[in-house]
Amino acid sequence: MTAEAGERPLGVFGYFVHEALRRLWVYKRTSMVAIGMIAIALLTLGTFLLVSENLNHAVDRWQGQSQLTVFLVREATPAQIEGVRTFLAGEPSFSKFTYVSREAAYAKFRKHFTQLAPVLDDLDQNPFPPSFEVQLTKVNVNDPKFTKLLGRLRAVGGIDDVQLDWQWVSRLRRIAGVLSLVGLVAGGILAVAAAFTISNVIRLTMFLYREEIDIMRLVGATEATIRGPFLLEGVFQGMCGGLLAVGLLFGLFHGVHALGAGPASALLWEFLFSEFLPWPKLLALVGGGVAAGLFGSWISVREAREEKAG
Amino acid sequence: MIDFYHVTKRFDRYSVALHDVNFHADKGEFVFLTGPSGAGKSTILKLILRQLVPSEGQIVVNGRNLSTLKRAQLPTFRREIGMVFQDFKLIERMTVFENLSFVMTVLRVPPRDHKKKAYAVLRAVNLHHRLNAYPPQLSGGEQQRVAIARALINDPFLIIADEPTGNLDPDLSADVMQIFIEANLRGSTVLLATHDRELIRRTGRRVVYLEKGRVGEERQQQQAELPESPGTFMQWGSL
Repeated sequence: MTAEAGERPLGVFGYFVHEALRRLWVYKRTSMVAIGMIAIALLTLGTFLLVSENLNHAVDRWQGQSQLTVFLVREATPAQIEGVRTFLAGEPSFSKFTYVSREAAYAKFRKHFTQLAPVLDDLDQNPFPPSFEVQLTKVNVNDPKFTKLLGRLRAVGGIDDVQLDWQWVSRLRRIAGVLSLVGLVAGGILAVAAAFTISNVIRLTMFLYREEIDIMRLVGATEATIRGPFLLEGVFQGMCGGLLAVGLLFGLFHGVHALGAGPASALLWEFLFSEFLPWPKLLALVGGGVAAGLFGSWISVREAREEKAG
Repeated sequence: MIDFYHVTKRFDRYSVALHDVNFHADKGEFVFLTGPSGAGKSTILKLILRQLVPSEGQIVVNGRNLSTLKRAQLPTFRREIGMVFQDFKLIERMTVFENLSFVMTVLRVPPRDHKKKAYAVLRAVNLHHRLNAYPPQLSGGEQQRVAIARALINDPFLIIADEPTGNLDPDLSADVMQIFIEANLRGSTVLLATHDRELIRRTGRRVVYLEKGRVGEERQQQQAELPESPGTFMQWGSL
């Protein structure tokens, strides 16, 4: 629509925006269905992304606290021990390290595993080798550079074995990856369904506006001018769906925090819902809604070319 | 201005709307297309607007061969033509001004010019006082005058009207015809399809008679009983 005689008439883009918003309002029920579908799709995707994001954060956090244990040969000489110490001190990936002598290892075992102390008493000699307990800085354990570093460490004289507790890290990363993928697939399928809902809503609107479209064509409106408001209507529906999904996700996030306040589940909630999605991912969710809306409306408007009988 | 060369239009094997039609209208001419229902009047108008394409033959409008007109060129071509329909085709949810402004928006007329142009064209059809009325609040004659104003808004070189007085009583028809004649005097070519013989007789312009999809050449000149003269419309307008 243009404007009242007393109002400022609109340019083409103003007309697009005004018409798209007006149609959203006039056909609010059908628009709400489309917006709801988009919101459900993006909420599904967003929930998976949220859990996956938090898993990755947990992995990052705990990986920073990861430990490397460097076992020396039992007969390691002071020079070899000093050589290992020098190597560890020269690498920034190792934030802190402590030397654990054979005696200290024996004492530690006795202290932590008191029930196994009689077993130790039956042994003729101390079975524990000397070792270094090494704290890692925030490193990516799958990084080839880190693997090379471990290779060089293993080659240092006097070292028997190097053990790193990174298997769980890789496993958690894989789980996070799978969750992201499941979210993308489920969200993607739902988003396509939502796009087709939008497409049908736009097709219905175009049908209701067919007389106006005919008039526009006859007075020389370009297809872009005719289709613009419908495309924008789909974009607005997608954007509203995206914003609604972000709002619901935010509510879900805080709701889960409130529900998970009890001590029994606190760790789990802390693990899965410690942080909300970052801005770029939230914007990507809304952008996904916009893309779904645009795709849906584009499907409808591209079909609506002027019929030319004969 | 308008040339039809051996134009045939078939909708299917058994339905021939126009058969080998040759027809010419000069620039600035006022031509009536007449004939019984189904004679092919509306088909000719649709072919000129390129809502339809001919099955055979060529159509040239204002130097453009419509057969070679690309889809992308169609809007520009149509912007030079004003179209008036029997059923007005006004958008009921919009005021008179909005109906005109809506067209000016799609024609990319700068928004600052909308009011000025709308007022000027509505004044020409004597409806400037109904700027904020909605179409259902207007009489049939007023609605048709708004539709004509919409057709005139872009100073078209050609005005096409399909039974513009079909829904109007004789007095209102007189008002409407007056506007077409004035537009014609200002330089627009007018092609008006009607089956109203009395209207044609009183207006006294060239008549192209169609019957069963063919142009009846002999009857073209006989149809107009009144001579073509500027005075005719004045007399008609004062009725």
